[in-house]
Amino acid sequence: MRCEKIRDLIDALWTGELPAAIREHVATCQACESYWRDARLVQAGLHALAEEPVPEVSLGFATRLVRRLGESAAETAQEEFFVRAGRRFVYATLMLTLALLLALVLPATGPVRGPATADLVMAEPEIATARTDRLVGVYLSDIPDVAPAGQNERDQKGQQ
Amino acid sequence: MANPGPDIGQEIEWIKRAQRGENEAFGPLVDRYQRRIFSLVYHVLQRRGEVEDMAQEIFIKAFRSVRSYNFRAAFGTWLSRIAVNHCYDHLRRIRASRVSYYWQLTEEGQRELEAKLESPEAQRLDDEDRAALRDLVGKLLDRAPRSDRVILVLKELEDYSVEEIAEILKLKASTVKVRLHRARKRMLEDIKRWQPGRAISGVGQGR
Repeated sequence: MRCEKIRDLIDALWTGELPAAIREHVATCQACESYWRDARLVQAGLHALAEEPVPEVSLGFATRLVRRLGESAAETAQEEFFVRAGRRFVYATLMLTLALLLALVLPATGPVRGPATADLVMAEPEIATARTDRLVGVYLSDIPDVAPAGQNERDQKGQQ
Repeated sequence: MANPGPDIGQEIEWIKRAQRGENEAFGPLVDRYQRRIFSLVYHVLQRRGEVEDMAQEIFIKAFRSVRSYNFRAAFGTWLSRIAVNHCYDHLRRIRASRVSYYWQLTEEGQRELEAKLESPEAQRLDDEDRAALRDLVGKLLDRAPRSDRVILVLKELEDYSVEEIAEILKLKASTVKVRLHRARKRMLEDIKRWQPGRAISGVGQGR
């Protein structure tokens, strides 16, 4: 507890002179001494940082800035216009490209184009096979080699 | 860093004209405060190459909001507040992409430095020592929480008074003192974390 208070004082006094009582404690307590040493190190480092020369302001900084202020006021209005116009142009181009791509790709792919037509194409053979199924079965059953296996069995069952 | 004493009347005139939208009137204000802003930005960011761009952004921001300046705080203090907030935002943005460095100073090197600091004339520090110290503290600042970093820079590097820091950060002076104290403590604890070999040991350990 005492050490904690000592260290609080070191933080608070910082670069100031430590009172004799604290110096006495620091001299005998290894942990507080190490804390105090670190404090000295950081203080010296901060001092060294503060002493380092700050980057020079380049010649004509203020003049350039004022010019920019004038430009930026006019620019913002102009920029907004161009940004909006530009965005529209980009959108239009994108849409056009998309339309073009679709136009190119769609006719080449069957199933995508007109599901209704596809349905019709699919539906017809089903009906057709349903009708011809029996007929073919009857005809083919006369020639055992040609008839599908399933059909042969079905025929045999029918005969039984 | 002190208030621009002599022609404060002239300054008020410039500010009022800038508030009416006169760009040219802002020029002398930039001239007067550019060094202060450069120094603040440099110390907070610790990056030489970014100072001018940042300062430019800060002054443009200040011009755009100059109408909100009410002459209550000194103009320089008001500018510093804008600069600090701008740096704050910048730090938040770069924090994610920043690698944290570790202190390269060896224990031996540190002992040597400490011995030199013990000696009555700190003049004995040569350029290399100073560079090592700058490196150490720069990295400590870099790792510190943003609010610690800003308050330490304002006090230790920019040498602002507690009252002025309070005005810049919109805090009470007593709060500034507490935070400053805490920021120093955290820095010193951070050093310990880097040197497990030299960790505080023995009775009465602080934490």
